[in-house]
Amino acid sequence: MARIGVFVCHCGENISATVDCGKVAETIGKLKHVALSTEYKYMCSDPGQTLIKEAIKEHNLTGVVVSACSPRMHEPTFRKACAEGGLNPFLCEMANLREHCSWVHEKNELTTEKAIDIVRTQVEKVKLNSALQPIKVPVTKTAMVIGGGIAGIQSALDIANCGHKVIMIERSPSIGGHMSQLSETFPTLDCSQCILTPRMVEVAQHPNITLYTYAEVESVEGFIGNFKVKVRKKAKSLDEKACTGCGLCTTKCPQKKIPNEFEQGMGMRPAIYVPFPQAVPNRPVIDKEHCTYYLKGKCKICEIVCPTKAIRFDQPDEILELEIGAIVVATGFDIKHADFFPEYGYGRYKDIIDGLQFERLASASGPTSGAILRPSDGKVPKNIVFIACAGSRDPAKGIAYCSKICCMYTAKHAMLYKHKVHEGKAHVFYMDIRSGGKNYDEFVRRAIEEDHVNYIRGRVSTIFERDGKLFVKGVDTLLGAMPVEIEADMVVLATAGVANSGAEDLAQKLHVSYDSHKFFAEAHPKLKPVETNTAGIFLAGACQNPKDIPDSVSQASGAAVKVAALFSQSELTREPLVAVVNRTSPPLYSTCVACGMCKPVCPYQAIELEEFKARDGRVVKKAARINEGLCQGCGTCVAVCRSKSIDLLGYSNNQVYAEVVALLNDY
Amino acid sequence: MTNLINRAKELLENGTVKVVIGYEAGPTGLARPAFITDPAKAGKLIYDDRCVQNLAVYLTKAEVKNLGKMAIVSTLPVMRSIMMLISEHQVMGDNIVVLGISTEKELLDIADIGVMKGYIEKCDLRNPEKDRETLAMLNALTPAERFAWWQKEMEKCIKCYACRQACPMCYCIRCTVEVNQPQWIPVQANPHGSTEWHILRAMHLAGRCISCGECGRACPVGIPCHLLTMQLADQVNNYFHVHAGTSDNMTSVLSTYEPNDKESFII
Repeated sequence: MARIGVFVCHCGENISATVDCGKVAETIGKLKHVALSTEYKYMCSDPGQTLIKEAIKEHNLTGVVVSACSPRMHEPTFRKACAEGGLNPFLCEMANLREHCSWVHEKNELTTEKAIDIVRTQVEKVKLNSALQPIKVPVTKTAMVIGGGIAGIQSALDIANCGHKVIMIERSPSIGGHMSQLSETFPTLDCSQCILTPRMVEVAQHPNITLYTYAEVESVEGFIGNFKVKVRKKAKSLDEKACTGCGLCTTKCPQKKIPNEFEQGMGMRPAIYVPFPQAVPNRPVIDKEHCTYYLKGKCKICEIVCPTKAIRFDQPDEILELEIGAIVVATGFDIKHADFFPEYGYGRYKDIIDGLQFERLASASGPTSGAILRPSDGKVPKNIVFIACAGSRDPAKGIAYCSKICCMYTAKHAMLYKHKVHEGKAHVFYMDIRSGGKNYDEFVRRAIEEDHVNYIRGRVSTIFERDGKLFVKGVDTLLGAMPVEIEADMVVLATAGVANSGAEDLAQKLHVSYDSHKFFAEAHPKLKPVETNTAGIFLAGACQNPKDIPDSVSQASGAAVKVAALFSQSELTREPLVAVVNRTSPPLYSTCVACGMCKPVCPYQAIELEEFKARDGRVVKKAARINEGLCQGCGTCVAVCRSKSIDLLGYSNNQVYAEVVALLNDY
Repeated sequence: MTNLINRAKELLENGTVKVVIGYEAGPTGLARPAFITDPAKAGKLIYDDRCVQNLAVYLTKAEVKNLGKMAIVSTLPVMRSIMMLISEHQVMGDNIVVLGISTEKELLDIADIGVMKGYIEKCDLRNPEKDRETLAMLNALTPAERFAWWQKEMEKCIKCYACRQACPMCYCIRCTVEVNQPQWIPVQANPHGSTEWHILRAMHLAGRCISCGECGRACPVGIPCHLLTMQLADQVNNYFHVHAGTSDNMTSVLSTYEPNDKESFII
């Protein structure tokens, strides 16, 4: 005979302001099989939990219904309390009176009626709950960090310093990411390369880190603690062990006019190249799309000049199969380029550049060795216009969000310009200045007050070129929307930060969700900002949304801690709320007929067909089997199973049916 | 017909198959399924207008399967059923010899599943013409009228489940209607419960129905329940451009997700 205890929580006034908790407890107390029904102001508090623990012992309860908030936050709390009270934790259910009732209805009798109905369903459900045991799964203590920008580097170093193995995958020939392209960093104006390169070298030299550059994730299977990742190591056409990185090949390559990606197309590189002088690893790769040998079948000058004979033209791509326990996704972001803006000439005007191009212009290692020279004729621009929010916060362009970093780097750019071109004039068109962050607003004030950058609050409607000048037409909204026209020598667009190319594809390989802008989605916007909805996969840096360096680094360390916490145990315990395919005695074995319908619907690849064999090895029966380590308990397989051979533990068909019937019946 | 008999005899004599599933004349002159295991009895096989049943339903029955390798007299619907059964792992292609019968009632030379696939591809895979006409009539009604029309039909249902038994795709060893924890479908035959059963059956066959019409033919009270599954077959083809039973590795249309699926239905 079931003996159910019902505990109605007031949640301060969150529930009791609109629901008559006393009446709920009283009405439920009269139901059959309810041994105890009581109310309390804060069930999640220590006295509240003690109330539950003692009631379990005193009334010898067989099931508990906590009628409080959403189970998302406090289900673990109350399950733990039940376990401490001597009851199997999975005999505890939560009725959500807050999100499902009190917060969404006004105070009246119907609201209380609804609350009673919600509790009744859970009372009926908990009667059919069974005592479940947690599932244990082993953990492979190797982490994979996808992306070798500052976020990936920080994560990898933190995990490696905890004593765990890390495999870092970077798709370009060198790690470093966007940070390596920056000239100086706000708000301190210290050189980006100077603070980044030691970290890059540390990654390459760390005994716990294995670095694969020019490599991409091919496929990901498995589950938390037990991922199986295939990585494609693209052929660099080079024996990396033989190569000494002398760079002779790069100077002799006859192809010299290939736009340099690292310089954002503002410089040229040969077909065999090291992306930048501080690259890690400092070894060249051959760009097969531009190499004369790969295109025309002859040349091989690099092979001839190589003193160690390290060039390998016939090198194939290599597929690595790796066993991984946790994954940190740190694939970064990209920016929109000038060609995205019809009003600014679709990228037709050479002197309209984006923020990253300006970084390269300002960088001492850049194409102009740090001199601010405009691309069209190499002259020093005397009048420069910066346009913030180019694309960002513009729903008409499909980018409603704030790219966060542009206000700061625009101030930085204007400042760098003024430091280099003392007589020059810098104008900034902005919508709002968003400079939240330590020493950030002071930095912007410094640009305005000390470096006399002319900030104009308003947007630019159009830019056109006439006689080598760019005419920037905008308004000054602080002067009553007065039209402003500036004759500029160069315009820098602080273009929107967007998801990196291939982000959607990678998200699908990893089975993590992403938002409409293709940024990876966190599991909870506030309380789980580094987790994804797939256990064991974490996020770091700007692959989640545009972030500056301090934010990326903090999050990367956060993700590293999550990985380290995961690796601190040899076994993982997970909730046993998984789907099972029934098993019966032979000759039936299962009511499953192995039609295989459940296999393709499973988002976690948790289902396979199991064979039952007779003693002579003959297969006498096939039936689906669900890997309890992989199953996330979504229940999709339960819905498609025609013979109802699959059930979800903790949410069985029987339990859900009982809930529905409870609502249909009077009490 | 002599070709068919000779081929069946040959297959049984040289031991290629253990049983030939075909039709024979019953005592009242109607055709009935025949399971020939003795080559001497192959002469009983017939094939004419009376032979309408979808014999593929026997391929999944343990008592037939246990006899060993099977040859089966196969019209187009039987061939399509075989394709579906192979796709859904219910029979193995190399365990079946297909004695194909063309629409001209000629014995086809179907050496293997690949040849059968080629033959099916050339056939008209739409619902039979008569059923298309009835469906067009029903689709022209308003939803309320159509529901009323079906309710009248459902009143006749006695829940004998002959529609299920006759269907080669209803091969579950335990049907949903036999599940009573919880009792999803009411046991009684009443318009409400019968409607639930027929909707459930139709949904279970969505994208799988090969338009043989056997369920409607088997119904002892004359409910045209085959129209429900045929309508869904038609809709699946409209939306996904797939005809069931056209290859031996059909993916289940309604439970398969492809990254490049059209998402036009998401508003």
